[in-house]
Amino acid sequence: MLSLGTKLIIMDGGMGSELERAGLGAHDPMELNLTHPEAVRAVHAAYAAAGADIITCNSFGLNRIKYRGKYPLEELVRAAVENAQSAGREVFFDVGPTGALLAPVGTLTFEEAYEAYAEIARLTSDMVGGYIVETFSDLYEMKACLLALKEHSTKPVFATMTFDRTGRTLTGSTPEIVALTLEGLGADALGVNCSLGPEELFPIVERILAVTRVPVIVQPNRGLPVLREGRTVYDLSDDEFFTWAQRMQRAGVAILGGCCGTTPATISRLSRLAGKKVRAHRSHPQTAVCSAVKYVAFDGVRVCGERLNPTGKPKLRDAIRAGDTDYLIAEALRQEEAGADLLDLNLGVPGIDEAAAMERAVRAVQECCTLPLQLDSSDVAALERGARAYNGIPLLNSVNGEDAVMDAVFPVAKKYGAVVLGLTMDEKGVPRTARERAKIAVRIMERAAQYGIPRHKVMIDTLVLTASAQQPLVRETLGSLALVRKMGVKTALGVSNVSFGLPARPLLNRTFLAAALANGLTMPILNPMDAEMTGTVHAFRVLSCEDGGAAEYIARYGAQADAAPPQTEESLFECVLRGREKEARRLAEQETAHTPPMQVVENILVPALQKAGEGYAQGTLYLPQLLACAEAAKAAFAVVGEKLGGGGVSRGKVVLATVRGDVHDIGKNIVKVVAQSHGYEVIDLGKDVEKERVVEAVLSEQPLAVGLSALMTTTVASMEETIAALRRAGCKAKIFVGGAVLNAELAAQIGADFYTADAPAFAAALDKLQ
Amino acid sequence: MSSSDLVRRALAYLGCRTSPDDRLVSLVGECLAEAERLAHFRAVGEVFSRRLPFLQNAPYLQFLEGCAEYALVAMTLGSEAELRVRALMKVDPARAVVLDACASALVEAEGDKWEERFRKNRTFRFCPGYGGSSVSDNAFIFEALRPERIGMQLLPSGMMAPQKSMAGIIGIGKQGTRTCSGCMAAAGCKFFREGGVCYRSEQSSS
Repeated sequence: MLSLGTKLIIMDGGMGSELERAGLGAHDPMELNLTHPEAVRAVHAAYAAAGADIITCNSFGLNRIKYRGKYPLEELVRAAVENAQSAGREVFFDVGPTGALLAPVGTLTFEEAYEAYAEIARLTSDMVGGYIVETFSDLYEMKACLLALKEHSTKPVFATMTFDRTGRTLTGSTPEIVALTLEGLGADALGVNCSLGPEELFPIVERILAVTRVPVIVQPNRGLPVLREGRTVYDLSDDEFFTWAQRMQRAGVAILGGCCGTTPATISRLSRLAGKKVRAHRSHPQTAVCSAVKYVAFDGVRVCGERLNPTGKPKLRDAIRAGDTDYLIAEALRQEEAGADLLDLNLGVPGIDEAAAMERAVRAVQECCTLPLQLDSSDVAALERGARAYNGIPLLNSVNGEDAVMDAVFPVAKKYGAVVLGLTMDEKGVPRTARERAKIAVRIMERAAQYGIPRHKVMIDTLVLTASAQQPLVRETLGSLALVRKMGVKTALGVSNVSFGLPARPLLNRTFLAAALANGLTMPILNPMDAEMTGTVHAFRVLSCEDGGAAEYIARYGAQADAAPPQTEESLFECVLRGREKEARRLAEQETAHTPPMQVVENILVPALQKAGEGYAQGTLYLPQLLACAEAAKAAFAVVGEKLGGGGVSRGKVVLATVRGDVHDIGKNIVKVVAQSHGYEVIDLGKDVEKERVVEAVLSEQPLAVGLSALMTTTVASMEETIAALRRAGCKAKIFVGGAVLNAELAAQIGADFYTADAPAFAAALDKLQ
Repeated sequence: MSSSDLVRRALAYLGCRTSPDDRLVSLVGECLAEAERLAHFRAVGEVFSRRLPFLQNAPYLQFLEGCAEYALVAMTLGSEAELRVRALMKVDPARAVVLDACASALVEAEGDKWEERFRKNRTFRFCPGYGGSSVSDNAFIFEALRPERIGMQLLPSGMMAPQKSMAGIIGIGKQGTRTCSGCMAAAGCKFFREGGVCYRSEQSSS
C-alpha cells in the first residue's frame, strides 16, 4: 500500500523520450503498447529498477477524443496496463487531456469530455491502483476528468496541471485556483507536472503548498528545453534536478517524479529521497471561492453583487424566462466593472425549470465574466446543476438550521468543494436574540463537519430584518455578527433589506452597512453600482487598515474633484456619430420630451447612422468608431423604445449565425451590433451552428432576413448546405452571406440572395428591404 | 518590436490608413496593455532538412527554393484574450474589436521575436492558406509538431483554436519577405487597393 502523505513517494519519469531513444520515435507511442510491448516493458522495468514506487502506464493519449488510430481503445488500454504491471510495482493509469479545446474556444462540450474520461475509468478501474491525471492546462477539462474518475472508480486520483512562466495555466488559472479547485473536487494528491524545470516550478509549488493540505505532487521537466541542431533537448543535469527535488521535499512535497526529458538515471538519483517523511507544510486553509481565473479569499471585506436576482426586477425576470443569457452577461459585466468581488446568481422565476436555467446561466456568465459566483436557490437540484457546471469553487446560498435542508445541500457542497452560506434560522423562524442565532450557526457548522465540510468552508448570514417592522432586532443581527466572528467564521448579510418601508433608504442602508462592517461583516451582498454603498466599503477598508496606506482609496477618490465630466455642447446627431453613449442617452431623453419619438428616429438617429456608414465606406471612420456609434445609437433607441412603451422599437427581426464548422464569429458579432443599432431585433444563434438550428429559428421567428457568416473556404460548403436546407424548408426571409472568403459571385453560386461586404452594407441592405 | 510599432500594427489591422484620432490611439494603448496581461504566448518549432511530402508541391516548392533547411513552427497567444474579446463584444464592442486587433498584433510580434532563434538568414513565416496553398495543410504541421501540447487544436475546418494561433513554414538559408499576392483578403483590402500593406509597421521596423 502507498504511504500517501506520510512518506515520500517516487513516481517514474519520461516515457516518450525513452521510446524515442529506443529508436521508436516514428511510431504512435500509444500503439507501441500493442506493436512493441517489449520496448514499453523495458522502459517500465528500467524505472522500477531505478526505484520508482509507482509505474505510470504508457497511456497519456488513450481517450476516445485524442486517440483516432486503428486499434480498439479497449485493447490498447488493456495492453498499456499489462505492460506497466510487468514491472511488478503499483500501477497508475496515465490520463492526459483530450487535445481538443472546450467551447467556446474550441467545440468540445463539458459532457463529451466527461464521457471520454468516464469510459477510461470503466475500462481500467479494476486493473489499476490509481490514476495520474497530468499535463492539463484547462481547469474545466480537469473538472470533467476528476468528476468522471471519481464517479466511476474508488481508486486514488493524483491531479496535476501545467503552468507557464507567468505562474498561470494556459487558460489563466493560478496555483491557488488550481489547488482550491482540485482539493474541492476530491483529488487525493494535487500539483504540477511538465511546464518548466524544477527551478522555475519551485515558486509555483510553494504557492500550492501554502493553500492546501492535500498531498502535493511535482513532476518537472529536466530543465527548460533548448534547441540544438534543430531539435528540442533538455539538458539539466541529474544532480541539479536532484538538488531542486530535495528542496521541494523539504518544503513539504509528498510525491516526486519526472516529466519531459527525465530518464531512469534521473529517477535513480531521485529515489535517494524515497521513504523520507513528508514534512508538514504550513498551509493556511482560507475561506475562499474562485472562478477559473479569479481567486477571492475572504480575508477582508468582499462585496457580493446582488443584481442577478429577479426579485423586483421585471426586465431580468423576463430575460430569465426567455433564456436571454446576453442580458445576464451584460448585468454581470457591469457589476464586475463596478468593482464587485463575486456575484450572486439567482434564477428563481416561477414556472421555469430552475435547475436547467441555473446550469445555462452558470455556463453563459462564466464564459464572459471572471468573477466567482454565489449560486443562490432554494431548489437543491438547481444548486447541484449549477455547482456541477461551475468552473471553479462556488459559494452555495444556502442552508439553514433545518435538518432536511442541511441533509440535502451539504452532500452537494462536499462533492463540488463549494463554500456554503448558512442562514441563522430554522423551522421555528429567525430567533430574536443574537445568542440564539449564534447557536444555530454552531449547529450548522457541526452538521457540516459530519459531512466532511471543514469550518472554513462555511459562512454565516445572521439575517437582516427591517427596521420599520422589527426595529429592536436590527441590533441582534449586529450582535450575532460579532459572536460569529469570534468563532473565526466569515459572515454575510443582504444589507439593504434593513430599510424596507422607510424613507431615505440609502441613508439607512449605508449607516447599517458601516455598523455591520464594524461588527465583523465579511461579505455584504449589495448593488455594486451604488456608489454610496461601495464608498462605505472603501472607507471602511481604510479605517480597518485593510487598505494599507489608503492606497486604493486615494487612487479611487483622489482625482475625483477634477473628474467631473464636462457638459457637451454637441447635438444628439453628433453624439451618436461620435459614439458618446451616455450623452446620447441623456440627449435622447431631452429630445423625446418635446419631439414625437419616431421623429427622433427618422430625423436624427437614422441619418446619424447613415453618415457613420458612409464615413466607414470612405475610410474616414474606422471599425471601433463605427461600433461606438452603433452603441450610442442603441442607447438612444432604448430611450425612444421606453417612450413608445410595449416592446420598444423593432424594425424587424434578423437571424444571424456563423455556420457549422466555423468558430470565428467576431465578424458576425460586429454585424449584430450594427444591425441592432439600426433598430433591428437580432436573434443570434452563435457560432458553429448546425443547419437544422438555423432552419428551426427561421421557421419559428419568421424574420425579415437571415445572415450567415463563414471565414474559410472550408466552411463555405457548410454555408451552402445551410442555404439549401433553408430553401427546402420554404424560407421566405432574404438570405445574406458574408465573411472573409465570400464575394458576390460565390454568394450567387451557393444560392444566397445577397452578399454584403461589411456591417454597414448589411444594415443598409436591410433598410432597403423595408 | 517597440510598443509604438505594436500600436501601429494594431491600428493597421483595424483598417486605419490615415492618422486616427487621439481617442482611438489611447484606446489601442489601453487594449494593448490588456492583451499583454492576458497573453500566454507559447510556440513549438523544429528544423528539418528532408522535405515532408506536402512541401513537394507548389507553392511551397517555390517558397523553399534554395533552402537546404526549413523550420516548421506553431504558436499561440492562448485563449484568455479571446474570451475577453467575446465578453467585451456584449458590453463594449468598440473595445472588443480593438483588443482583438491588439491580440493579433501581439501574437505576430511575439512570433517574430521567437523565430529569431533560427538563423538570421531566413524567410518570413509562410502559413498554409497563403499563395494558393490550402489551409488543410495545417494538418501536416500539426502531425509533425504536435502543438496540442502547447494548447493548440486543429479543427476539422482547418482552423486553429485558440483563434490567435499560427502555424507556418520558414525557409532557412535565404531571405524572403511577405507579399500580398497570396493573401485571401487581398480582393477586398483597402490597403492593397491603394498600393499599401497592412503590415507596413513590420517593414519599417525591419
